Amino acid sequence: MLKPFRGFRGGYKFINYDGPAAPVIVEDDIPSRVMIPLRQGFGQDVKPLVKKGDVVAAGQIIARDDHTVSSPVHSSVNGIVEDIKRMNYFKRVVAMVVICSQDPSKEIARIPGYSAEWGKLSNEEIEKLIYLSGVSSLDREGIPTRFKSSIIPPEDVKHLIIHGVGSEPYNISLELLLEGRRLLNFFEGVKILKRITPKSHVHLAVNGHSRRIIEQLVKLSSNMEWLDIYPLEPKYPQGYDEMLVPTILNQKFPYGYSAANIGVVILNIQAVLGVYEAVTEGKPFIERIVALCGPSMKEHVHVKARVGTALGDILSKRLDTSKPSRVVLNSLLTGVNLNDLTLPIDRTFSQIVAIPENKDREFLSFTRPGAGRDSYTRTFLAKFLPGAKKRPDTNQHGEERPCVSCAFCEDVCPVRIIPHLLSKYVKRGIIDETLMNYDIFNCIECGLCSFVCPVKIPLLAHLKEGHEKLMQQGCDRTQCILPYFDLKGIEEYRGVTKL
Amino acid sequence: MKFIKDMLENLNRVSQKNKLLGMFRPVLNAADEFFFGTDKLTRLPHILDYMDMKRFMSLVVIALAPAAAAAVYFWGLRVIAMILVSYAAGGLAEVAFAITRKKEIHEGFLVTGLIFPLILPPTVPLWIVAVGAIFGVVFGKEVFGGTGRNIFNPAIVGRIFLSIAFPKIMTVYWQGPFTGGLGGFAHFQNIDAITSATPLGVFKSHGELASYMGLLFGQNAGCVGETFRVGLIAGGLFLVFTRIVDWRIPFAYLTTVFVSTLAFNHLFHLKLAPPIFQLLSGGLLFGAFFMATDPVTSPFTKQGRWIAGILLGVLTVLIRGISGYVEGVMFSILLVNVFAPLIDTLVLNVRYQKKVK
Ligand code: SF4
Ligand code: SF4
Repeated sequence: MLKPFRGFRGGYKFINYDGPAAPVIVEDDIPSRVMIPLRQGFGQDVKPLVKKGDVVAAGQIIARDDHTVSSPVHSSVNGIVEDIKRMNYFKRVVAMVVICSQDPSKEIARIPGYSAEWGKLSNEEIEKLIYLSGVSSLDREGIPTRFKSSIIPPEDVKHLIIHGVGSEPYNISLELLLEGRRLLNFFEGVKILKRITPKSHVHLAVNGHSRRIIEQLVKLSSNMEWLDIYPLEPKYPQGYDEMLVPTILNQKFPYGYSAANIGVVILNIQAVLGVYEAVTEGKPFIERIVALCGPSMKEHVHVKARVGTALGDILSKRLDTSKPSRVVLNSLLTGVNLNDLTLPIDRTFSQIVAIPENKDREFLSFTRPGAGRDSYTRTFLAKFLPGAKKRPDTNQHGEERPCVSCAFCEDVCPVRIIPHLLSKYVKRGIIDETLMNYDIFNCIECGLCSFVCPVKIPLLAHLKEGHEKLMQQGCDRTQCILPYFDLKGIEEYRGVTKL
Repeated sequence: MKFIKDMLENLNRVSQKNKLLGMFRPVLNAADEFFFGTDKLTRLPHILDYMDMKRFMSLVVIALAPAAAAAVYFWGLRVIAMILVSYAAGGLAEVAFAITRKKEIHEGFLVTGLIFPLILPPTVPLWIVAVGAIFGVVFGKEVFGGTGRNIFNPAIVGRIFLSIAFPKIMTVYWQGPFTGGLGGFAHFQNIDAITSATPLGVFKSHGELASYMGLLFGQNAGCVGETFRVGLIAGGLFLVFTRIVDWRIPFAYLTTVFVSTLAFNHLFHLKLAPPIFQLLSGGLLFGAFFMATDPVTSPFTKQGRWIAGILLGVLTVLIRGISGYVEGVMFSILLVNVFAPLIDTLVLNVRYQKKVK
């Protein structure tokens, strides 16, 4: 059923950013060497099953651990294991399997037991396929199966939210992901997920501006009373779990914990497509569609890349190197820096954004009309010219000054806390229950407050600092969350909350 | 551009060598920051809003421009002189503080320096402008630690100081605007023309109302910047539209004034002027759009802003109607400035009542 438009208070719409990825998929050659992190997405590190010198095939499971919450990891090429080493991968030390490719063919070993007519498979067989394909490690809760792929078993899932809202400045193209045949596959995937989580209600949240897709979805879902479709405003950070749950379910979110604690599983569109491919085609999740966007990218396309491909292999020809640029994973607001191009991509990548690193001091910068400048205030032309492309860069755009209490940060904060107040407390060294009383633990670290602040106060950093200092003093967010939720076995249920 | 850059660089070099000149580093830095944007880079988030304090303040200045330009037309070059004196005197005070404290100079004065002469009567001697501006900057802002920490609006502090210290100059002599032809340009300081009283004063003493059209287009006596009300309304709406000021304060303020006078006007029709006249007279529009909204000195919570607006409205109507003063806007704003932190605390306490235990 199609539900009316809905949203949340606060947030900010990043529209019309320069250089979105065009809805085309380019497939690259098999890389000569891949590095596969043994922890991808949700779950714990897994133990390698191969050793140096082993011959592996694309799609072969090279690491798996059935005793911890995790999902198997596969080789993504046919080749020989060159090395297994621990290295720094996005602020975390992870074991990496380095595989030297021996074969340029794109064949992938299938997982046995799949069937194009999945209706004939038993739940156990389906769950096994999902687990073995590795797709069950996607997104923040993972996909629950009877294997330990998520922190809750499938029958505990009350709500399944699948979203493609695209509220970041740059997003993977929804049109592309749900194009033609893939839309039908996606729907089959949804049905498969509904089958393994029988008690769940399925909620499809899509960007409200993609009318064509919504119409098609409505048509396809006409007789499914267990499924609702929600057109949502692409307002950042709508795509966050913390925002989807209150907007769609009208429920409080246990900030800081995984939505699985309240019986909600939230998945992306690629995860559902992965489920379909795993169950009906036996395909392990070793390929990912990644959008390349931003003004510093020469080619704005989507690439289909093997997991473990070095960033350099993907970006070398596509990144504009004439000027310095900053490459960021997934989100311009919260994403990690990808400037080390030797690092590989994993299952969780969806956008790679490159923007110019702008150190230039601009003459009388504040007097510019600003046809390409984005601002929360309506003071630049870009807000009024409908087609104006906003050009992001990494300049700070102004000096730091004392807070003027304009309350922009409070207006945009999606969880309705008062960032400038908390920041003042933290900066004055007042770290006590006041901070907790003002809900510092609700902060979802979306970074919007820092973005809008006209005096460039690093509010996000201050909030994180306050947060950490509180933790050091032994305060825990459980004290703020527990009274509202029945989170039994909280340690076990905690899972991974921030990727 | 190149020229300015070279000049600043040269000055910088000199100031590094010369100790005495070195004291003026804050001025050089401020100029440098003013002309050239920053070269700092973002961390997280990777992108930041293009808005900064300089644009923020320049837009307020732009919003004030119509009223200021009209004032120049009505009272001639004198007004320009007043504005220049205010900037110069206040700016000096600001620089003196920046030098002794070795701090940067902030943009706040761009606005204060313009607002201050606009809330003075057009006849005040220039030295009084200077005294008021210095007093406002020092006691309205610097003693609290500069922009962002001040409790009072510096321009109001200066203005109230002047009305207490020089009550005669500030309230007795009013000069009607010169309209038609060259306007005020023909008269630099024509003392003979000091005849008219402000519309609020006329109402108080004779119970007569000025024409609304005349009030809108600035045909009456009044403070420099407050009489050309069409310009004030346009400027105020512009600020609200661009989100630089929060609409809640002016809206609550003006509505309260309108509604309360509408309700009580027939009861006390000799004391309380009718609603539209209230809105269009005195410094109400100026104060509501440009002074009460100053984010630093008004409450920061939304509910607090509503409360502040309503309080302002009530106070203004009371002072205008009951007290011996003709005009209540400045005092109301000063009073509400005092209460702003309290209002915020109350709002926060209600909003974040101790939840558990
Ligand atoms: S306080 Fe936290 S949740 Fe609110 S805007 Fe800032 S980063 Fe986002
Ligand atoms: S946005 Fe910046 S200046 Fe405005 S209230 Fe928040 S911290 Fe203060």
